[in-house]
Amino acid sequence: MSSTPSGSGASAPPAVELRGITKRFPGVVANHDINITVASGTVHAIVGENGAGKSTLMKTLYGMHRPDEGTIGVKGRQVRLNSPSDAIKHGIGMVHQHFMLADNLTVLENVVLGAERRHGIGNRARARIRELSEQYGLGVDPDRLMEDLGVGDRQRVEILKVLYRGAETIILDEPTAVLVPQEVDELFDNLRELKSEGLTVIFISHKLDEVLSVADEITVIRRGTTVATADPSTTTARELATLMVGGELPVPELRESTVTENTVLSLDGVTITAADGRPVVDGVTLDIHEGEIVGIAGVEGNGQSELIEAIMGMRPLASGRILLGGQDITGWHTLKIREAGVGYIPEDRHRHGMLLDSPLWENRILGHQTKAPSTRGPWIDRAGARADSERIVAEYDVRTPGIDVVADALSGGNQQKFIIGREMSGDPRFLVAAHPTRGVDVGAQAAIWEQLREARAAGLAVLLISADLDELIGMSDTLHVILRGRMVAQADPTDVTPEQLGSAMTGAGLAGDEKTEGGTAAADRSEDGA
Amino acid sequence: MSKDSTRSMPVPVATAATVAVGVAVTAALDLALLWWAASAIGVAAAFATALWADGRTRGAGDPEGVREKGTTLHRTLVVPTALVLSVVAGMLTGWFLDLSLIEPVAAVLGALVGSFLAHLLYRRLSAMLALSFGAVAAAGVLAIAVTALVLQLSGIPPLATFTRMLEYGTRPDSLVQVVNDGTTYYLAAVAVAIGFKMKLFNIGVDGQYRLAALLAAAVGGYLVLPPVLSQIVVMATAVAVGGAWAGIAGYLKVTRGVSEVISTIMLNSIATGITAYLLSTDRLAVEISTNNIGTPPLEESSWVPGIPAGFLGSDREIFGLVVLAAAVGIAYSVMLNRTRFGFELRATGQSQSAAEASGVDVKKMVFLSMLFSGMAAGLVGMPQLLGASHYYALDFPTGIGFIGIAIALLGRNHPVGIVFAALFWAFLNQAAGILPFDGYPQEIAVIAQATIVLTVVVVYEIVHRWGRRYQQQQIGKELGTAAEPKEPAAVATGTAAEGGTGADGDQTPGDGERGGEAK
Repeated sequence: MSSTPSGSGASAPPAVELRGITKRFPGVVANHDINITVASGTVHAIVGENGAGKSTLMKTLYGMHRPDEGTIGVKGRQVRLNSPSDAIKHGIGMVHQHFMLADNLTVLENVVLGAERRHGIGNRARARIRELSEQYGLGVDPDRLMEDLGVGDRQRVEILKVLYRGAETIILDEPTAVLVPQEVDELFDNLRELKSEGLTVIFISHKLDEVLSVADEITVIRRGTTVATADPSTTTARELATLMVGGELPVPELRESTVTENTVLSLDGVTITAADGRPVVDGVTLDIHEGEIVGIAGVEGNGQSELIEAIMGMRPLASGRILLGGQDITGWHTLKIREAGVGYIPEDRHRHGMLLDSPLWENRILGHQTKAPSTRGPWIDRAGARADSERIVAEYDVRTPGIDVVADALSGGNQQKFIIGREMSGDPRFLVAAHPTRGVDVGAQAAIWEQLREARAAGLAVLLISADLDELIGMSDTLHVILRGRMVAQADPTDVTPEQLGSAMTGAGLAGDEKTEGGTAAADRSEDGA
Repeated sequence: MSKDSTRSMPVPVATAATVAVGVAVTAALDLALLWWAASAIGVAAAFATALWADGRTRGAGDPEGVREKGTTLHRTLVVPTALVLSVVAGMLTGWFLDLSLIEPVAAVLGALVGSFLAHLLYRRLSAMLALSFGAVAAAGVLAIAVTALVLQLSGIPPLATFTRMLEYGTRPDSLVQVVNDGTTYYLAAVAVAIGFKMKLFNIGVDGQYRLAALLAAAVGGYLVLPPVLSQIVVMATAVAVGGAWAGIAGYLKVTRGVSEVISTIMLNSIATGITAYLLSTDRLAVEISTNNIGTPPLEESSWVPGIPAGFLGSDREIFGLVVLAAAVGIAYSVMLNRTRFGFELRATGQSQSAAEASGVDVKKMVFLSMLFSGMAAGLVGMPQLLGASHYYALDFPTGIGFIGIAIALLGRNHPVGIVFAALFWAFLNQAAGILPFDGYPQEIAVIAQATIVLTVVVVYEIVHRWGRRYQQQQIGKELGTAAEPKEPAAVATGTAAEGGTGADGDQTPGDGERGGEAK
């Protein structure tokens, strides 16, 4: 309430008031005595590290489940929210982190889907969308096809969808996770616009600098309960971090360079084509040395996944070669590549890294099913696999009651630690690490970084792909930017900023005096840089 | 560990004590009560002993089950399940032995088995396994209730009918029939289960076994070979034909992406056509009786002798190839759990993408598992061919492949689960044989079978999900409290609950984080 409401007067009742919210799941408590007051016409940020209970709280507010204790007040009236449609009736809308849009429909069709009764599906709806888009400065054209839109535009469509349904309070769940810095700025402009029109925004994040730049008031959640309310004008990121984790935030950074002259993996003009013949990875040439971490920055969907899958032998090359320690491994089968000493931390651990229904010790075998200690000839070596799983659990601090629990019962961070331990075993020469700390809490993040550093010091070559630009800058010895399948720039991780990387990732070129690629690595390709 | 505590006793002593109590109580009560009551009470007493003894042997190299002890789930579910299972096992053993032995001995031996199980189950039964048993029991009760309702509505007294079926189904001759049918069903179900483990639906087991049986019978009938070799050749032919027929579907799936469901259904029809074509006196068949034609009967030296069922009190014979079914079951189990191939098979079935990323050649696995499924299917007709009819004729049993699908579902593709499912199915079939004599429709058994398959599949899935969620929460709680004992419980377990909500596929990095995150 101490914030600066810019729309309605300070005397207006709070847009949302949560009092003593407690949500229990059988045996555990997810939210405990949460108290939040969101003033009308403000941007209210809720911060907390992964797993602190932010989402449970937002699901409560959006009517996806009912709290066991406590009350929800909307505009001064106490309400019961039994379902999301109740929440919408009370003017509360939510934009999920993962967009819920149909690619093959137009913006108009996506917006009216499920809300056909408001303004029909024809011109009335189109006019309403135009009106909303203008009113809030969203710049959305109702007749464009969704698949032609970029990530930022899609997010604006999601916001418009919520507005179209008459929401006055909008919950945004980690809206910046999928955006590059420039798009984040645009989003924040939109949010300020919404605020000036009198709407209320609840903004969930764990990125503190963003929160400080956009929020009028900040509520910090730790371990399921509200620990503080802060005013962004008088708080620093450091103070917030301390409140959030009860300690210091870990920083990704490398110590002295361990890069050697020995090339471990080299990509030579690697080109991969999609089913329609369009190149998704285009003439990538890259060398990774012993003791070196090479980072690749890029907006998701610019060929990173395809490049990794090609290196792992899961996707055929259209042209080019891949050499591991001087040996041509192009066209090798995945198993042979793994046997040759390549570890793989997949970007989607549930799809590619784990058997969720199998016990942990069986997951130890996955990907290593031809090597000791998992197997002996055609037989599974139960004792060996179990003993080695115990070792991983101990060495990598996997929090689990035992190796017989199914992998699905572990938290994401612990699953990831187990995968990293598994991929590091058998002394690999080369490691593909895709989003190694995605969805992992702060403690596990620091541990994973430390493990990568140690392995690098021991001579491991690493290809690091991440959406977290701080992680990329902090952990890479060499940093490349990928755009539409091409390496468009090489940045020096010691002095590049996330903003500069962001502009290079979106094709605006690397601002500053960084060299563009083409002169050194990709000699066959002349890129017009900067 | 056990040395630290002065009052502890070694595990073997506890085992002996448990069994001794069970046997002694049974022997004593048998003088006063009916044998089955004595046996039940004896086993229950043994179970109580196991409970008591457990307190004194704790820590002596305990297996994993111990970790769960003391939890609510363990108290409310695992212990009662173990008790019921051991009592039932003891009574069943007693009843079975009673068919060939005198009553007191049977009762005591039953109690012996039951008591030993009481000891073993109490110590070893894991919560998840107990949940599975619980689920099957619940499904059974539900299915019986539904069947009873259907009977009631049709104007047939349910209780009397069930009693009649039970009484008829447990006659010695019926039991032999149950075992024989069960043998055949088991082979069919294993064939289906191999596919199921890979998420492949081999509907074509029916066509595969019929074609395999026909060609194997023809080979055996026309080719006169010395004993032993002859049987081996016949079975090898069946395995080869079944494998080849299923292999077609596997090949089409791998190379052309044809759904195995479609292709195996088609192959069933084609197999029917081919058998009809070949089973003609112009080709493979000869006249067997006035209105039946079939392949030439096998020489007696090519038969597989039956096992006399005198110990069941019947003068009929059990298929000698029941041994084959057991061998196939053991091979299936070993393959699945102990070999790299089995691991890759299960991995591919669970997550094709993960298997691929781990270097499993998914196409090869698809082809091979289809092939193996077909090879197992080829054996389905063998007990009947080599043990009973000795020729393939128009009256050779059909439709076993489809029964196999139901049984594989019922047995949850588990090598042992399928044994019980197959026997149960065969029992229902056999027991229903009495109904026409009472003027009731025999289809009651079909209704019961269908209801049971449906309820087992549904209830099992629900219980399994619930159990998974429970386990996640337990872990969250355990880790949360272990890491931070001084923190109020409510706060310490803050993250764990998100595991519960996030369990159904919510992978949002911010919120899908599973319980117990490094607190």
